[in-house]
Amino acid sequence: MRPFLLSRDTFHILVALADRDRHGYSIMQEVAERTAGQIRLSPSTLYSSIKRLLEQNFIEELEERPDPAHDDERRRYYRLTKTGRRAAMEEARHLEKLLSDARASGLVRKRA
Amino acid sequence: MSNSSKSPAAGALRFYQPFLWLYPAEFRDEYRRELCLAFLDRWREERTLFGLLSVWLHAISGIFYQAPREHYYMILHDLRYAFRILRKDLSVTAAAILILALGIGSTTLVFSLANGLLLRPLPYPQPERLIAVTETSPKDLNETTQIAFPNYFDLRARTRLLEDIGVYEAGQSALRGEGSAERIPAAFVSDGVFQVLDVEPLLGRLISREDDLPTSPKVVVLSEELWQRRYGRDPGVLGKSLQIENSRWTVIGVMPSGFHFPDRAELWMPLQIDPAKAPRTDYFLRAIARLKPGVSIEQATSELESLLEQIHRENPAANNHWVARAIPIRKSVAGSYSKAVLTLLVAVGLLLLIACANVCNLLLVKASARVREIAVRTALGATRRRLLRQLVTESLLLGLAGGALGVLLAYAGIPALLSLVPVDLPFWLKFSPDYRVLGFALGLSLLTTLGFGVIPAFSSFHADLTDSLKDGGRGGTSGTRSKFIRHGLVIAEVALSVILLAGAGLMIRSFLALRMQDLGYHPENVLTMSIDYPENRYPDGQPARALLRRLTEEVSSLPGVVSTSFGSGVPLNDGWGRLFTIEGHPLDLKDMSFINHIVVTPGYFRALGIPLLQGRDFVEDDFDAPRIVIVSASFAKKNWPNESPIGKRLRFGPPKNNEPWHTVVGVVADSKHGAYKGEDRASIYLPYNPEITPNALLVRTTGDPLQLQQALRARIVGFDSDIIVSRVFSLEQIVTRAGWQDRFFTVLFTAFAALALLLAAVGLYAVISYTVSLSTHEIGIRMALGASASRVRNMILRQGMTLAGAGLAIGIAIAFTLARFLQSQLYQTSPTDPLTYIAVPILLIAVAALAAFLPTRRAARVDPVIALRHE
Repeated sequence: MRPFLLSRDTFHILVALADRDRHGYSIMQEVAERTAGQIRLSPSTLYSSIKRLLEQNFIEELEERPDPAHDDERRRYYRLTKTGRRAAMEEARHLEKLLSDARASGLVRKRA
Repeated sequence: MSNSSKSPAAGALRFYQPFLWLYPAEFRDEYRRELCLAFLDRWREERTLFGLLSVWLHAISGIFYQAPREHYYMILHDLRYAFRILRKDLSVTAAAILILALGIGSTTLVFSLANGLLLRPLPYPQPERLIAVTETSPKDLNETTQIAFPNYFDLRARTRLLEDIGVYEAGQSALRGEGSAERIPAAFVSDGVFQVLDVEPLLGRLISREDDLPTSPKVVVLSEELWQRRYGRDPGVLGKSLQIENSRWTVIGVMPSGFHFPDRAELWMPLQIDPAKAPRTDYFLRAIARLKPGVSIEQATSELESLLEQIHRENPAANNHWVARAIPIRKSVAGSYSKAVLTLLVAVGLLLLIACANVCNLLLVKASARVREIAVRTALGATRRRLLRQLVTESLLLGLAGGALGVLLAYAGIPALLSLVPVDLPFWLKFSPDYRVLGFALGLSLLTTLGFGVIPAFSSFHADLTDSLKDGGRGGTSGTRSKFIRHGLVIAEVALSVILLAGAGLMIRSFLALRMQDLGYHPENVLTMSIDYPENRYPDGQPARALLRRLTEEVSSLPGVVSTSFGSGVPLNDGWGRLFTIEGHPLDLKDMSFINHIVVTPGYFRALGIPLLQGRDFVEDDFDAPRIVIVSASFAKKNWPNESPIGKRLRFGPPKNNEPWHTVVGVVADSKHGAYKGEDRASIYLPYNPEITPNALLVRTTGDPLQLQQALRARIVGFDSDIIVSRVFSLEQIVTRAGWQDRFFTVLFTAFAALALLLAAVGLYAVISYTVSLSTHEIGIRMALGASASRVRNMILRQGMTLAGAGLAIGIAIAFTLARFLQSQLYQTSPTDPLTYIAVPILLIAVAALAAFLPTRRAARVDPVIALRHE
C-alpha cells in the first residue's frame, strides 16, 4: 500500500483552497470550520506548509486581491495550481479507496 | 501593523513576535507579517481569558515545532545546492578535497603522535601525581635520571610531601625449566613501586616491605600474559617456584591483564638491597613517586633537594654535590621527544597553511567564474546573507570531506609511521586516534574552512555585479584587487614551502653528518648477540673462561666467520659508566667524570676494526694477571698530554673505595661506545678476568652477518641447550637504531617539505594558467601586433618567476630567522648551513620554472585571429 502523498495539514489546506482563493487566516478558519474545530492550524504550521506547497508548485501566490469585501492589501492570497489540484484529487481518491476497503471488510458500516 | 497596534490585541503581539526570532532569517523576513496577522486574527476571535491563553500557547508551540524544521529544510536545501555546484566542477572539487586531505591528514597524523606522547593520560590512577625522582650532576642537569639505593632509602624515610617512593631496575631475565628457556623483560623493584602506581594484583599479593628485605626469601610476581603463556592461567601457580637466572623464586602474585611497568616488564622481583652495604654513588636505579594530594612539583623538588643535601652532609665521603629533582613522570619518559614533536607540529602546520592558500586560490578562480551566477541570483532577490551562507556551506562541505579523507589518511599513516620506530616504546604510549584526535581533526577542518572559504566568498560580492551581467563574466574577479589576493597567496605558499624546505635541508644535512661520522670501528659485517648461560654451571673464573673459549672456537669454525670476540656490551647499546682516578692526580668526588668501562676478550679490537695506536693488545694470559687496561686516544691525550700513557696507572670508583690500581698497556683509537649523537665519554678497556665475564658476542663475517644468525644460534645451542641466545642484531642495525629519532624526524620533515613544494608548485601553476586564460585577449593583440611566441612565453614565465622569486626571498629571510629553533636538534650542522641555503633556492627555482613553463606553452599557442574574433 502506497504511503500518503500529503500530510494531513497539507491536505486540509489544499481542500480549503479548492473552492476559492484565500489568504492565510481564511485558510485557518476554513479548516477549523470544516473539521468542526477539531483541527486548528497554528500560524506557524500554516505558513511552513504554505512555503512547502509554494516550493512544490501546488499553490501560487496571487498578484490581485480577489475578495474585495474582505480586502486588505497587505494580505497575501493563495490559489491552488493545476498540480496542486491533481495532487489533492489523487489523495482524495486514495482516501476514498481506503474507506471503501474498510467498508468492504466490515470495519465501517456501509452507507445506506 | 500600524492599524492593529492601536487595537487591544496589539499587546498580545508583544508576547508573540519575539519568538519569531527562532526562525531562520529568510523565513522570518518572508512571513513575519503574515504570521503576526494570522495570530492577531485568531486572537480577536476569542473572548475569554482561557481562550486567549490557549490561542497564545497554540501559536507559540507551533513556532517551537516548526522553527527547527525550517532550519533543517534550509540546511538541507543549502547542502543539496552545494552538492550540485561541487559536482558540476568535479575536477576543482576533487583537487580541493585532495589538497585539504593531505594538509589535514598530515597535521592529524603528527597530532596523534603528540597526543600519544604528551596528552593521553597514563593508565594509572591519578597519573598527574606521579613523578620521577632523580639525582643529577650539577655539571649537567640532563645527564642522569637515576638514583643510588641508600639515598632513595633515606629519602623515603624522611619525605613528608611524597605519599611513597619506589625504585626499580629494568632488564631481561632468563627464565628456565618448565618448558623452554626464554629471556623476558623483567624488573627488580622495591616494594614502593606498586604502592606508588596504586595497582592491585589479579591473584595473590604484591611485593611487600618484608619481601624487599635483604634476608627475605626470593619471591616473584608474574604478568597476566606470562601466567597465560607459561601456566595456562592455572591459579595453582601461587606458591610454585620458578627458575630465574640461577635461583629459584616463589610466585606470590599475578598482575592484571595489560599491566606492565616499566616499559614491557613481565615479571617483578624484589631488589632486596641492604642500604648499609650499597654504595651511595652507584646510580643504577630509577625512582618513581606519588605526590601527596595538593603538593606541587616545585614543592617536591625543593623538599628532595634539601633532604639530599642533608644526606650528603651526613655522608661526607659520598658527597658529590649532586642534586635531587622531581620530574612529572610523562616528561621523564616522553620529554626528550616533545621538542621534536612540537617542531613537527609547527612544520605540518605550515604545510596546512599552504594547503589552505592553495584551495583558497582554487576557489577564487572558481568564484570569478561564478560572478555571473551570483549576480543573477542577487538580481532574483537572494539576500547577501543567503548567498554568503550558501558559499560557506560549499566551503564547509569541502572542508569536512577533506577532513574525513584526511583522518583516513592519518589512520593509514600511523602504522607506517610506527614502522620507522625500531625500539620498544613504553606499552602505554598509544598512537591510535582517540576522541582527542578526532575532535582535533574536526576543529581543524572547520578552521581550514574559515581559512580558505572566507576570502573567496567575500570577493564574490566585491565584484561589480552590473558589469558582470553586461559582460560575459569576463570582468569579475580579474580586477586588480583579486589579482592582488591571488598573487599574494601564491607568494605566501612559496615562502612557506621555502621555510619547510630549508628546515628539511638542515635536518637532512644533520642526519647525513650523523650517519657519516667516524664511529671509530667498521660496523658493516658484524653480528652481535647476547649470550645467557647458567651461571651455576659456569661460574665466573675458569669455568666461565673455558665456556667463552669453547664458544669462540665453535663460532670461529663456522664458514664465513672472520673473527670472534666477547665484550661486556655492544657498542651504542652499553651503559656501564664508572668513575676513575689517575695516579698522582686525585680529584674531589664532585669533579670526577665517568668513562665507558668495557671488559673484552682478546681479539675485540680486531673484530670491530679499532686500530691499536700504541703499546699492545690483550692476550689470553692477561686473564690471570688482569690489572691492566687499554685506554682510548682522547683519554690518553687528556690525562697525560705530553707523555706516553704506557705504564701509567689509574683506578676505578670513588676515592674512598680504594680499588686496586690498573696499569695502561696500550692505546686504541677513539670509538663511539656510549653515545651515538653528541659527545661520548672516553673509554677504558679491561681484559676479561675471574671477576667479570663478558656476555655480548661480536662476530665479524665475510658477508651479510644476518645470514649467519641461524647457523650461529644452532651451533651455540647445540653446544649447550641451556644457553639462551637473544638480542641478535647486526652492528649496522644497532647503529641505525641508535639514530632512529633523527631518521624518524628527518624522514617526516622531508616528506612534509616535499609535499609543501608540490602544493606550492601546483598553486603557482594554477595561478599562471588562470592568468593566461584571462589574458588570451591581450596575448592575441600582442601577437597580432607582431610579438613572437617566444616573447609571449617569456612574458608569462617572467610573471611566474617574479611571484616565485618574491616568495623565495621572503621564505629564505624567515627560514634564516627561525632556523635557530632547530639548533638543538641539529648534529654538527649550523642553522645557517650555506649548502642548505644554496640548494633550497636552486630546487625551488627549478620547480617553479617548470610550474610556470607549462602554462606558457598554451599562451604561445594562442591564435590571434581566434582570440580577437571574440570582439
